[in-house]
Amino acid sequence: MRKLLRKIFLLDLVEGLKVTFRNQDPKRIYTEQYPAERPKVGERYRGAPRLNVNPETGETLCIACNLCALACPEHLIVLYSERNEETRRKELTTFTFDTSRCMFCGLCEDACPVDALELTQDFELAGYTREGQIFDRQMLEEGPRPVQYKF
Amino acid sequence: MAEATFLDSTELVLNMGPQHPSTHGVLRVILKLDGEKVMGTECVIGYLHRGVEKIAENRTYTMFAPYVDRMDYCAAVSNGLGYCLAAEKLLKTEVPERAQVVRVILTELNRIASHLIWLGTHALDIGAITPLFYTMREREEILKIFENYCGARLTTHAFRIGGLQYELYDGFEQEVNAFCDTFPARVDEYEELLTGNRIWIDRLQGVGILNAEDCKAYGITGPLLRAAGVKWDLRKAQPYSGYEKYDFDIPTRENGDTYDRYIVRMQEMRQSLRIVRQAVKDIPAGPIMGKVPKVMKPPIGEVYLSIEAPKGELGYYIVSDGTVNPYRVRVRPPSFVNLQAVEKMAKGALVADLVAIIGTIDIVLGEVDR
Amino acid sequence: MPDEVKPEGTAQAPAGGTAAPKSPAPKASPPPKPPVPTTMVTTPWDGEIPGRLKEQFGGQVVECASYLDQNFVVAKPDAVIPILDFLKLELDFDYLVDVTVVDWPKKPERFELIWILYSFHRNERLRVKTSIPEGATAASAVSLYPTANWLEREAYDMFGVEFAGHPDLRRILLPEEWEGFPLRKDYGITQMDNRWVRENLGIESGQ
Repeated sequence: MRKLLRKIFLLDLVEGLKVTFRNQDPKRIYTEQYPAERPKVGERYRGAPRLNVNPETGETLCIACNLCALACPEHLIVLYSERNEETRRKELTTFTFDTSRCMFCGLCEDACPVDALELTQDFELAGYTREGQIFDRQMLEEGPRPVQYKF
Repeated sequence: MAEATFLDSTELVLNMGPQHPSTHGVLRVILKLDGEKVMGTECVIGYLHRGVEKIAENRTYTMFAPYVDRMDYCAAVSNGLGYCLAAEKLLKTEVPERAQVVRVILTELNRIASHLIWLGTHALDIGAITPLFYTMREREEILKIFENYCGARLTTHAFRIGGLQYELYDGFEQEVNAFCDTFPARVDEYEELLTGNRIWIDRLQGVGILNAEDCKAYGITGPLLRAAGVKWDLRKAQPYSGYEKYDFDIPTRENGDTYDRYIVRMQEMRQSLRIVRQAVKDIPAGPIMGKVPKVMKPPIGEVYLSIEAPKGELGYYIVSDGTVNPYRVRVRPPSFVNLQAVEKMAKGALVADLVAIIGTIDIVLGEVDR
Repeated sequence: MPDEVKPEGTAQAPAGGTAAPKSPAPKASPPPKPPVPTTMVTTPWDGEIPGRLKEQFGGQVVECASYLDQNFVVAKPDAVIPILDFLKLELDFDYLVDVTVVDWPKKPERFELIWILYSFHRNERLRVKTSIPEGATAASAVSLYPTANWLEREAYDMFGVEFAGHPDLRRILLPEEWEGFPLRKDYGITQMDNRWVRENLGIESGQ
């Protein structure tokens, strides 16, 4: 009798739907509306590389110590420097970072003694060519420019 | 007697994979079928072979650490822990207590994440779609913790030889505690969906049986071994990274079939949560990095160290010749060894059962092929 | 290390002063380091297992030692399978963890083979090692431990070490027709079988 009533009033279905609706809380939505909404990544996120400059003078912070290039497991950082005769300091001339081979392990960032090289929170690294994946000094100093998508 | 034609032959060769959704990656299985019955299987692997062991010989000890994350990418933190422990043993380095506790927390969270992805995909193979969405949701919370902690979600590179690179972020304990509070109810929910489910039981019970003797002969470890009734877990048998301080049980079952492995893994998630709770309660203060030389040159020697990864015994055999590069790094991957038993488990089963059998081993092809 | 010897306080000064007349070097050199050992510094391993092994196999067991509290047995190549058999049946080493090879091209016996064993009953690990020259075959352990099947196939695939008595010794990770054994030391890291790549993938080179 009870079984029959359960069947008539679809109680099992109601129970099942209860579970479904329990998971409908709008506060706990996990789907991200990317690219309309940009997901917030962690503060320590390891994304596109950037070569920091002094915000006041615009000079690079890099002291051309080559430690990042030595730390990189993929040997994808290549930099050249020149010795400035006046100040007796090494000055950075070129810096290339091949993101197509980068695995974003963060070892270069850890190695940098002056916090010049940084892996930023930008994650949009796709490109159309392999050559476009090799970041030169200018691109690295400008830093990533996330695209704003309009809808 | 009439001439035999191909119609008389009862054997049919069927190729399953390498692009098949239920082979969990690029596994190819050549099946010999008699009707629907599997007479024999042959696994063809190597599609994801990247030569990790060769790469290791050309990198320094520090540089190789990110590569190990790419083997078992569902449990990158466990891989990193195993490698770091082996290298530390070779270097005779002591890891500070704080670093050890944080390592345990992250590794156990990773075990839960790995089991969650296993549960979701295994259930999906069997035909239950709903659990996948739920498990992915919980996994997301763990990955968020990883991302906030070390900046990456999957290939974390969370540990360094000698300790940790990153200090805990503000709110780490709260986030872990919040996860610990919500998660048990979620596991109950999965169990509600699956454990008593008639279809689930019918599809899993009595499928892919391996008894304890077979497990030992095939070198099978992890949940598969425990489901066969062997109470063996490296965290208890040969504790590492301070596991001896935590109170937890080793779940075991007797039958050694696919259903038992499911139960064992579900209970393992609860046990992992117990460890996380105990560990996060008081994380000792102190340094997070032990004394390691800038240039690591371990003395000539060799070491084998293994940990209980989510899939089984993950071992690293490192030979040092006294230079900055390891002379040889051998990884003993649990998935590779466990996969070998497919042949034994699948004999006489149906093709649909084979899907359950492959799912229950919990292979990650990145680790099988390295 | 050199950073540590920079004079910081007065405590360093007398030490530097006494060292100066002895050594003409301009910098106070750090205390002489113990010479770096050129071989593995092992400690002898005594106990029940090495005792019984030596009693059973005599001269076939070359060495029983341990390094970093990890025990290993070095044996003659011919004796490995009997030793594994003995360890399994008499001493409960019922789980073969791994079979692997290390390539030492400069040594006359080039390939060092390692079997890692574990005993559930004793909760103990043990390595059995042997060395064979290039071209020699090792004996297969598949009949003792079925798990050795794939592990030996992988060792063959990567090093070209052949295991006599293996039921199905083929390449496992690389394609069947691949030439060369990648984990040998004389195989370059970017080296590959270009002929195979050309014929099967239709590209000039994989690099």
